[in-house]
Amino acid sequence: MSSLTANSYNTGFLPTWCPGCGDFGIWKSLQGAFASLGIGPDDGLVVYGIGCHGNMYDWMRMYGFAGLHGRALPVAQGAKLANHNLPVVVVSGDGDCLGEGGNHFMHAAKRNPDVTVILHDNQVYGLTTGQASPTAKPGFKTKSTPEGATDAPMNPLALAIVSGATFVARGFAGDLPGLTAIMVEAMKHKGFAVVDVLQPCVTFDKVHTYQWYRQRLYKLEAEGHVPDNKLKALEKAMEWGDKIPLGIFYKEDKPTSEGLEPALSGAPLVSLPLEVAHWDKLLNEFV
Amino acid sequence: MRDNVTWKIGGEAGFGIMSAGNVLAKTFTRAGYHIFAVNDYPSLIRGGHNVVSVRIGSTEFSGINRDLHILVALNSETVTIHKDELNENALVLFDPAEKEWTAADFPKSVRLLPVPLRDIINNLHADMVMRNTVVLGASVALLGAPFEALFSVIHDQFIHKGAEVVDQNEKIARAGFDYIKEHFADATDMHLSPGTITEKQLVINGSEAVGLGAVRAGLKFAAIYPMTPINAIITFLADHAKELGIVYKQPEDEIAGITMAIGASVAGARSMVATSGGGFALQVEGLSLAGMIEVPIVIDLGMRVGPATGMPTYTEQGELLFAIHAGHGEFARIILAPGDVEEAYHLTIDAFNLADKFQIPVFVLTDKYLNESQWCMKLSHFQKTVAIDRGKLIMGDTGKPEGEFQRYDLTPADGVSPRSVPGTKNGQYYANSYEHDGLGHVTDQAKMRSDMVEKRLRKVTSIEAMVPPPKTYGDEKAEITFVTWGTTKGAVVSAMEQMRHEGKKVSVVTYPWIYPFPAEATKALLAGSARVIAVEQNATGQLCKLIRAETGIDITEKFLKYDGRPWLPEEILSRLQ
Repeated sequence: MSSLTANSYNTGFLPTWCPGCGDFGIWKSLQGAFASLGIGPDDGLVVYGIGCHGNMYDWMRMYGFAGLHGRALPVAQGAKLANHNLPVVVVSGDGDCLGEGGNHFMHAAKRNPDVTVILHDNQVYGLTTGQASPTAKPGFKTKSTPEGATDAPMNPLALAIVSGATFVARGFAGDLPGLTAIMVEAMKHKGFAVVDVLQPCVTFDKVHTYQWYRQRLYKLEAEGHVPDNKLKALEKAMEWGDKIPLGIFYKEDKPTSEGLEPALSGAPLVSLPLEVAHWDKLLNEFV
Repeated sequence: MRDNVTWKIGGEAGFGIMSAGNVLAKTFTRAGYHIFAVNDYPSLIRGGHNVVSVRIGSTEFSGINRDLHILVALNSETVTIHKDELNENALVLFDPAEKEWTAADFPKSVRLLPVPLRDIINNLHADMVMRNTVVLGASVALLGAPFEALFSVIHDQFIHKGAEVVDQNEKIARAGFDYIKEHFADATDMHLSPGTITEKQLVINGSEAVGLGAVRAGLKFAAIYPMTPINAIITFLADHAKELGIVYKQPEDEIAGITMAIGASVAGARSMVATSGGGFALQVEGLSLAGMIEVPIVIDLGMRVGPATGMPTYTEQGELLFAIHAGHGEFARIILAPGDVEEAYHLTIDAFNLADKFQIPVFVLTDKYLNESQWCMKLSHFQKTVAIDRGKLIMGDTGKPEGEFQRYDLTPADGVSPRSVPGTKNGQYYANSYEHDGLGHVTDQAKMRSDMVEKRLRKVTSIEAMVPPPKTYGDEKAEITFVTWGTTKGAVVSAMEQMRHEGKKVSVVTYPWIYPFPAEATKALLAGSARVIAVEQNATGQLCKLIRAETGIDITEKFLKYDGRPWLPEEILSRLQ
């Protein structure tokens, strides 16, 4: 296991993302996090959404589920309930996770499965060539909002906190060491971990560039933020403008969805016998 | 002494109408009778008119008919609504405090049995909601059974609440029983001849039969969003999750339900969903996903009256063509359509094996009438050993050199490739919703696309080779052949029996395995019949369309019913004239 490096997860495929895309940083950080946690290509499952982010599986050697737009979270929860010893990570985007899959996001947070979500947050739908995503800020001009976005943006961190997520953090695709460290913490956390990753779209967003972000980002830990208070975490999650915080906003120990299932106190479902132990007793309930 | 009696209880929702039907059904199955209980109720929790009919026979029969021998009215509305259904000389049990009915109020001659239900309850300082228990006692007396038969069911039902609760219920039931014996000792017309069934029997509804089949087949995971008429399977699975070592998860919607089940199945657990037409409409993208990534999944589709919300608590067979055609793109599926609880149990077991064997979605197409009616089924049917076939599933280690495992191997003649699960050593692959190559990497190459389509569709050929012929009943050479499917079978077979009794040559062809369709067997079966009549619980003759598409045979004589109420044999016979 110790021989694993980020490169252990490369496939023969090269990324098709635009040069400079924030997805590269997220991809490399995730590989680094897997390597540092000793999770080999046969040991875990990554469930991908649909969007630019979702193409990552082709260059990520790890069991993968490339499913339907918006549905990565239920797939991940089903897999985790079937095998609670399996590390399960969701690679999703702002459109996938907050648009098509918004309901699943809230309910996953509420259940607290031991699943980590890496939320690629770039305010645009890149794969469909540049429409506004649910996190697009007001006034942001895209192909679907030529006069500038009018809807209020969703706030993935605040939504995660109020919905019950037990680990809520934000990273930046331009900061590999920092993002890798957050992903490692998120995966080590026993419960639903949301990592919102700010990510420039170099093709469809000329406003929120690497430079734009770098001028504004700061680390919560440097300010002495302790991630144990929901209201303080919410306050930090609402901060956006001249200063944008990175780091772990909120963290809480709570029983997981799998941990609360009476049938899952021991071996995972996939290892349990298929035969019914007390069949006659069960039948007699109906006599 | 009578061979069979149909008893009906009616009252306001919330007054224990459904449970009274269940208790009476168990009372008589334990005493060696055959039973069938069907309900009729609106989509409400309190208020609204609820009825349950229980047909009790000393020998076996198929389904319900138009008879009504005993009407038990917990309110006067029950009499108003159902008095025209009563047989000649039927018994009507009612509380005169509700309304003083007289013989002149009824179209036929009936015997009125006024029983002061409210007074009996007040005298025993009990709750009015327990009037159902008084009438159960009274009904057992009217049917000529010993009180002990009822008491054994009451005992088993309440013993977990303590001996005091059992005693209280016994006292109340006995008061009803004694009232009949004292005041209407001569009301013996509806006494049943002794039950002839010696084997132990279960009283179950269709949802429970599917649930029992599923757990017997090794179901490990179910994600089911509540929806009439499949809610009883949720109760069954959730109640038994711990002892059976299964997980039932309530999803946020049906889309999450099917995708959770697909996730669990990809991870290696036998998984299912259950829903009705409206919920299945949401699951269609998941169905297509299962087809593409070749994951086994069982879908219990409990049909009810549509379109849209329709009449949620009534029955229909309106989703056959929907189930066949649902999903974007072309992929293999199997649809099984049980006609009774015995078939529901066995076909559900088959569904899990077929889903694993072919790595496809398999439907168990049920309906409200199957799911919510109480059926009796011999214990021995459940005790037979069951074979579990997980097909080409590999857990542990594929034994392949690193990177060489081909999850979507193109070569197997049957179209089914080996399947690893996440965590299997040397089994890494991608379950990919995009078109993909052998490992699961995305592709849009023309040749790979065509090869992969052909591989997946070779499964259809493999399945078609093993499709069993339709089930047949009655005469081999028939003047009239009824063609039907699903639960409509009960009424059709019942009508057939009556016609044969009158000397006619009649047969019934029905389809527990309905898709892929047994076309050649159907052609052979219908070739010899002078008159072919289709009987379906829908407005457009969906089976007829399927038969025409698959065989070219155009069945022009169709008996269709779409009022939400199950077919009765008498209705079939009257349409023949």
